[in-house]
Amino acid sequence: MASTAASASSSPHQDGANEVSLTRLYVMRVMYLVLVIGLGAMIVPEILDHDLTSRGVIPSLLGAVWVLAFLGLRYPLEMLPLLMFEFVWKLIWMVSYGLPQWSSGQQPPTFAEDSFNIAFGAVLLFVIPWGYAKRRFVKRPGARWS
Amino acid sequence: MATDARAQTFWKRGAEEVSLARLYAIRAVALLGVYGLFTTVMTLVDHAPDERGMLKAMISGLWIMCLITIRYPLKMIPILLFELVWKLLWLFFFGIPQWWTGVGSPRLGEDLWSIGAFPLVCVLVIPWGYVWRHYIKEPAERWR
Repeated sequence: MASTAASASSSPHQDGANEVSLTRLYVMRVMYLVLVIGLGAMIVPEILDHDLTSRGVIPSLLGAVWVLAFLGLRYPLEMLPLLMFEFVWKLIWMVSYGLPQWSSGQQPPTFAEDSFNIAFGAVLLFVIPWGYAKRRFVKRPGARWS
Repeated sequence: MATDARAQTFWKRGAEEVSLARLYAIRAVALLGVYGLFTTVMTLVDHAPDERGMLKAMISGLWIMCLITIRYPLKMIPILLFELVWKLLWLFFFGIPQWWTGVGSPRLGEDLWSIGAFPLVCVLVIPWGYVWRHYIKEPAERWR
């Protein structure tokens, strides 16, 4: 269990491990755990037991978030793209569907459930280490081209 | 021409994490995603007022992830894994059973092609050695 700073920085993979606080790593792990337990409880039964004619694209997409959240428990920073994806698609839904439908009153039957679950994604604002994300996905040079 | 076994060429990774060919393969798939998913992204601004929109929002989220992947192919590997996993889940729990029984969603034929064929692409493009080294063998990020 010698996870000292020295061993963490010995790997290029874990460059970022000391760029965020331990608290942040735990906050991220709690988020992944929420996905494992909460999303799992919702989505796994739907995947295993569904109408034979259901299209199944949405449950499969959410099911994959659930599967990869397990990896996030072990590698919270490395799996950051998963949380970014969660944040981005929920934000897009809110802006293009949720808020306009809420203000106009023209809503699909699934609106109450969807908006509750998706609005929960707002916690990602406080979970994602934005400074780290900016350094890693904006400021650092991209992978090599030649 | 390379005498050193660790020398890096277009096809060999050498001391790098993956070969340049692999980086381009990942970028090509990401570019395909950017191109292919764009029609869905366009519908965000013009849709029925009471549409559910969840699928389109998720696809659009993936579209943005594809854009980032072009610049950072290795750091965005989780998104490639995500692509592989969701499509496999769909294939095993929806696509194949529906195809097998002949009772399926009205879009089954189209989905079987556009979703069902893609896991193969993912399997070929994902640098499995890199995934093995970094997402399995690598010690967990620190706990204390």
